[in-house]
Amino acid sequence: MGKLRFLLALWAAKLSIPALKITRHNGTDFPGSLALKLCPDFLRYVGKPKTIVSVTGTNGKTTVSNMLTDVLEARGRRVLSNRAGSNIASGISTALIRGCDLLGRMRRYDIGVLEVDERSSPRIYPFVKPDYVVITNLFRDSIMRNAHPYFIADVLTASIPAGAKMILNADDLISCSVSPDNPRVYFGIDRMDSDVTECINLIDDVRICPRCSGKLEYAYRRYHHIGKARCIACGFASPESDYLATGVDLGARTMVIRENGKEYPYRLITDSIFNVYNMVTVVAALRQLGFGHADISETLGATTVASTRHSEEQVGRVTLIKQMSKEKNALAGSRAFDYIAGRPGRKELLLMMNCLGDTHHWSENTCWIFDADFEFLKHESIVQIVCAGARCRDYKLRLLMAGVPEERILCVEDEFRAAEALRFTPGDDIYILYGTDSLALAYRVYDHMKELALQRAGEKEVQA
Amino acid sequence: MRVEVLFPEICNLSGDGMNIRYLHQCCPALEIVETGLKDRPAFADGSVDLIYLGSATERGLELMVEALTPYRDVLTERIDAGQLMLVTGNALDALGVYVSSDDGWHLEGLGLLDTHADYHMMDRHNSFFLGKFEGMDIVGFKSLFGHTYGAADQVEPLFTVEKGVGRFPGAAVEGFRRKNLLVTYLTGPLLVLNPPFTKWLLRQMGAPDALAFEEAAMDNYHRRVEEFREPGRNYMY
Repeated sequence: MGKLRFLLALWAAKLSIPALKITRHNGTDFPGSLALKLCPDFLRYVGKPKTIVSVTGTNGKTTVSNMLTDVLEARGRRVLSNRAGSNIASGISTALIRGCDLLGRMRRYDIGVLEVDERSSPRIYPFVKPDYVVITNLFRDSIMRNAHPYFIADVLTASIPAGAKMILNADDLISCSVSPDNPRVYFGIDRMDSDVTECINLIDDVRICPRCSGKLEYAYRRYHHIGKARCIACGFASPESDYLATGVDLGARTMVIRENGKEYPYRLITDSIFNVYNMVTVVAALRQLGFGHADISETLGATTVASTRHSEEQVGRVTLIKQMSKEKNALAGSRAFDYIAGRPGRKELLLMMNCLGDTHHWSENTCWIFDADFEFLKHESIVQIVCAGARCRDYKLRLLMAGVPEERILCVEDEFRAAEALRFTPGDDIYILYGTDSLALAYRVYDHMKELALQRAGEKEVQA
Repeated sequence: MRVEVLFPEICNLSGDGMNIRYLHQCCPALEIVETGLKDRPAFADGSVDLIYLGSATERGLELMVEALTPYRDVLTERIDAGQLMLVTGNALDALGVYVSSDDGWHLEGLGLLDTHADYHMMDRHNSFFLGKFEGMDIVGFKSLFGHTYGAADQVEPLFTVEKGVGRFPGAAVEGFRRKNLLVTYLTGPLLVLNPPFTKWLLRQMGAPDALAFEEAAMDNYHRRVEEFREPGRNYMY
């Protein structure tokens, strides 16, 4: 009965695919949702690729999954991925439905790269058993959904199959604690000039030893709890990295990966340390899959970070920059603010990381704003911050608490009017910060900013 | 005036840390004493004007109870003598009798409040809250694994519920008040979101009730009260 039910669900889901194409809804998870509704244990029966790499973690999992898929495809592998859909059970099901034949057999793909939402892992891992589980990092995310990272670490430990090989971030003691009995390798980034020993961030979730609750000392700390720690009371320490990025030079965009005492050069495709972590994660996963450093380096160097997360263009006399800063996620905000403050030049910012979905019938839980390091935005290079959307007053109050001078802050609820309040001073970098929820609106506001930038440039020319 | 922040290394979830930061910005003369898990609490020597305890992980709750157990009697004496203490978020559960969870986890609390919590780990509760405290509107958020139940209906509440969830779904009251022990399940920056309550607290401490960034804080507060009160707005996420 189970198998028959599965086949009926599969055929119904398969039939929905052309229907969705005709109605231009082909990017949705509907096939997977339908299959799971008709056959709740659909994932048990559907065929899977021979090798499965699951990518999970708080931040960077989409970037890592996409980079990993791109490199594998460029190296000739037939990769099944869920990049077109979501990372929850329905998205994974949709990807598998698209990849299997009418009897549910997986023949077209030899490897699966599946981005898996941490919270959804209890619904996925019992049936889709990964050979490798990559955890990018575990940080605070939405407190509403994910509570705190230790809860997520427990959820993962309870769900990840015993045999899966863990590929973990040695610089993150929370993700290192996941599935302690599984085989594992570690990646990390060696001490950098910009590292500190005392945490400067509000979120610092590994202050005490997980073994004895004694105070941890950090040999170096990059941000938040990311770094190399040791307990002075019991000797507990961060693990050593099997794949260690060393000599990271963000300016020259170079790094070296050290493995078993040998060093391999790489070109960085980014100037953000967060994306360097993503690159090192991909290198570790590809090494585990048997690829050589020369091949990885050549192919990885040709990939790019998705433009939905960060893109820049010169428009008129200013540079317009789209910068994703996931809503409800203090960590993502802190990393984006730190990155922006550290870049050269004068900046104007439009903040609109609002939860649009909550605006109409609920009211966004703003606790995350008070966990995020708005303090970075008091940097003197940030000459104007326009707060937009339903939560603009929360942003303003938080910025004041962070020490940003009031004359630099404007509060304009309507996002398009907020864009008009930007100064567009020639030579400035103008950032729009948005989350996934406000992505579509942000793109429309960005288009308006482009018009305004061109208009202001034209006015300057007339004046000249 | 001294404010003791208990266990900042673990009691720092959900933006709770901003409560004391804001209080300090309102009254820079405050001396903030941070007491670690392995330190002797300052309240044990009777020398603080406010004790603050914020949200933690489940392991953090265990550590919190472990650290406070040797000082349970002295803390009880202080509370009965009128010690001002503010407890936010799930730190409430450390003060209760016990916590039981559907994943088998169990915590024996300090038993300062005759109440117990039931956690449902994969069914997180999220809601916004609009209530009253001494005639003032109170706004906030709940993001918790469960609710608190028991014979505590006799214990005075901290807030009355206008819209939202109290001690448990259907309860008309929220939190607990035992003399000057003020305990709420509301998470995060309670004092930042509720400037009138912050003024009241400053007055209880004998501090001037001037607020930092008063105009922006009050503007934000009034907008949120108005928003929460809108008839079409549902408090459950």
